[in-house]
Amino acid sequence: MTASSPPASSPLAPFGVAATDVLGLDRPIHCDVLVIGAGPAGQKAAIQSVKSGRTTVLLEQETTVGGACVHRGTIPSKTLRESAVQLARLHRHEATSNVEPRRDREVASLMTSLDRVVTAHVGYMGRQVDRNHVVRYCGRARFVSERLIELQSVTGQRSRFTADTIIIATGSRPRTPAEIPIDHENILDSDSILSMLYLPRSLTVLGGGVIASEYASIFASLGVRVTMIDRAPRPLVFMDHELVGKFVGAFEAADGRYLGRQSIERVEFDGVSEVSTHLRGGETIVADKMLVALGRVANIDELNLAAAGLAPTDRGVLAVDDNCRTAVPHIYAVGDVIGAPSLAATAMEQGRRAARHAQGKSPGHSPEMIPIGIYTIPEMASVGLGEEEGIRRFGSILSGRARFDEVARGQISGITDGLLKLITDPLGKRLLGVHIVGDGATELVHVGQMALVAGMEVDAFVENIFNFPTLAEAYRVAALDIIEKRPA
Amino acid sequence: MRGFLKLYPALSESKGCVLSFMPRPSHTSSYPAEASGDPSLAGAAALETLGAAVRQRIEAGEVDVPLLPQVASQVLSLAIDPKADAARLSALIHKDPSLAGRVLQIANSPAYMPKMPIVSLQQAVARLGLDTVVEIAFVASLDGGTFEVPGYEDELENLWRHAIASGAFAKEIARIKRVNVESAFLCGLLHAVGKPALLQVVADAEAELERRSGCAGTLRGAVLAVLDQFHVGIGAKIAEAWRLPVQVTTAIVFHADYAAAPSCKVDAMIAGLADAFATDLVRSRARGGGGAAEATAREAWLRQLPVVADLNIYPSELDGLLAKRASVSQIVESMMA
Repeated sequence: MTASSPPASSPLAPFGVAATDVLGLDRPIHCDVLVIGAGPAGQKAAIQSVKSGRTTVLLEQETTVGGACVHRGTIPSKTLRESAVQLARLHRHEATSNVEPRRDREVASLMTSLDRVVTAHVGYMGRQVDRNHVVRYCGRARFVSERLIELQSVTGQRSRFTADTIIIATGSRPRTPAEIPIDHENILDSDSILSMLYLPRSLTVLGGGVIASEYASIFASLGVRVTMIDRAPRPLVFMDHELVGKFVGAFEAADGRYLGRQSIERVEFDGVSEVSTHLRGGETIVADKMLVALGRVANIDELNLAAAGLAPTDRGVLAVDDNCRTAVPHIYAVGDVIGAPSLAATAMEQGRRAARHAQGKSPGHSPEMIPIGIYTIPEMASVGLGEEEGIRRFGSILSGRARFDEVARGQISGITDGLLKLITDPLGKRLLGVHIVGDGATELVHVGQMALVAGMEVDAFVENIFNFPTLAEAYRVAALDIIEKRPA
Repeated sequence: MRGFLKLYPALSESKGCVLSFMPRPSHTSSYPAEASGDPSLAGAAALETLGAAVRQRIEAGEVDVPLLPQVASQVLSLAIDPKADAARLSALIHKDPSLAGRVLQIANSPAYMPKMPIVSLQQAVARLGLDTVVEIAFVASLDGGTFEVPGYEDELENLWRHAIASGAFAKEIARIKRVNVESAFLCGLLHAVGKPALLQVVADAEAELERRSGCAGTLRGAVLAVLDQFHVGIGAKIAEAWRLPVQVTTAIVFHADYAAAPSCKVDAMIAGLADAFATDLVRSRARGGGGAAEATAREAWLRQLPVVADLNIYPSELDGLLAKRASVSQIVESMMA
């Protein structure tokens, strides 16, 4: 039996089809490519494999495709963020719109469009997978040997598969430090934070990374008194310091507070209504709720990797080469399960790349220009080299800036706290990096990304015409700033 | 003290509601017979006779909404205790589904003008303050009057035990599914709130029928089955009268028929699974735990419930939930003490 002819009575037939028998235990189902995990990386790997004429099976433990990205991560949090941004815009235009927005709302009411968005997205992705004749099975997978996979359905039924190529795309989940009593009720992680039914008056956020910063700024803009606590002196240490400065400024203007260089002694819920965070420095932060956003861990615990001859790295992820191949030549790993950058867009590319390489096809050049988009309020985006990396590689750099309040569109739209920053080589010609903070940053960065990919000089931003008035005009302003600084 | 009622208009509004007949199927009826020992598995004739009589009384609007007198007296003690704190109050309210519902109803009433719906007791205490919630609980308890069903103390005790266990299990299930734990507790706690409200009516109907027939005790075995049969309809009316949050109302009405829930389906499913675990816990306790074969049958029954698969709870996660039975049992017994 092959994957291209799925059994009508499959015990693990996809997504709720009744199981009738144990299948594949004596004679495993064989396919060319077996993908474990139907998130962004797994979907792209499966579709790429089918497009190359390979029989492909996609295993997923949830009943729908999409992974954490759709159901617990990117899509839900961005939906909440969008509501927060719309509210912020209403507040900004309160005087002219004659509408007085409510300052406190149910989280659920802010997420009203979530079901619609998720349903539409899941439906689209499911149809895409089915249209490409990817055979899907629902259950949890584990290695029996390096080529044999056993799948256990939610009802406990088992099935076995063999494959020439196996692609692991099982994603990640929030890290839950043992010393913090996460109960998903008062002390929540980034999965359960979205289950809150009402906005707390105050929220403590542990962590200073992307997820912590995004949620902290979203809840602060919704009127929640937010305190971020982290070891690092500032949040988002990998981002340009000027961008982060703008973000922190906006966060503090929304009554947020960032406590850097802190170490936590203990966290406790008082049994009624308050979560206390005791810092080693002696201060105690009290809030209605707490979000623990101290990183994510790869979903590899149930895979029985040892049976495949694989072992995680010290950081708990799977090590791969440039083509996402593990130490076992026919096993690939893509997406969050291989660690940073843990971005959905990157995961999709890794999935595609792994599938092509497994088929003996050139996966193409590995894209060096991967943009980073952070959905804080205001947004941040970055592509290419930062100042420190530029100086390390070129000895020195030039940088040019454009504040959004210098751009007509920024004034028109009330987006005046933004900044676009270009980084070039010491001669002020070759573009090395683009860094943006402000509404629309995650879209705007793609202009710079294309310029970087094309190897353009900054003069191109001056010599070409952008629509007016647009925020893209900031590129021209920043380019002119660099041109003025060029060495004589 | 009755003057407090002026402050809590919603309290008065909920009295005297007309309750409709709305029987619902209960998945607990399929509980393994060898592990049951449950009088609800009564003769069909007794069930039919008592059921018909109860149905008549329900349609005649004879069901009132009771509060537990034990809790009422404890709230009274707490109200006059200068050492009372929020933790004690919260623990006390959590013991009684009826009182918890009334506190939520009143906390959400126009008298308090909450800026957003209050969906949990923690939120009520946080939003309204300890003193206010004490007052609410106090008045609600007094207004409930004396609730006694002489001769049915064991049944009543088991109803509360089942409710508390359902709330505790619902929290654990919600943690597994990463949905709201606070509202899950209330969904579990209140999902069968119609049963204690109905018990007096069932007891009256049973007494009258047995008096007429002159055969005492012949219908007793059908009481719990009749409660199972009719409580959802009563619960729905209580939810409506108390203006409970939509999650809790859905759990009450659809916990045994979650596929029909128009919204909050996961809340109904969680309440349904919690109900099954609580049923198992209560019946197991009644039989002193039973033997190894009985324990195996009970566990197998829980594992094969359709709601487990529908919630996409894998065997390893279910193992974790089964392992929580001992701690839930401890919680229940401590709250019943």
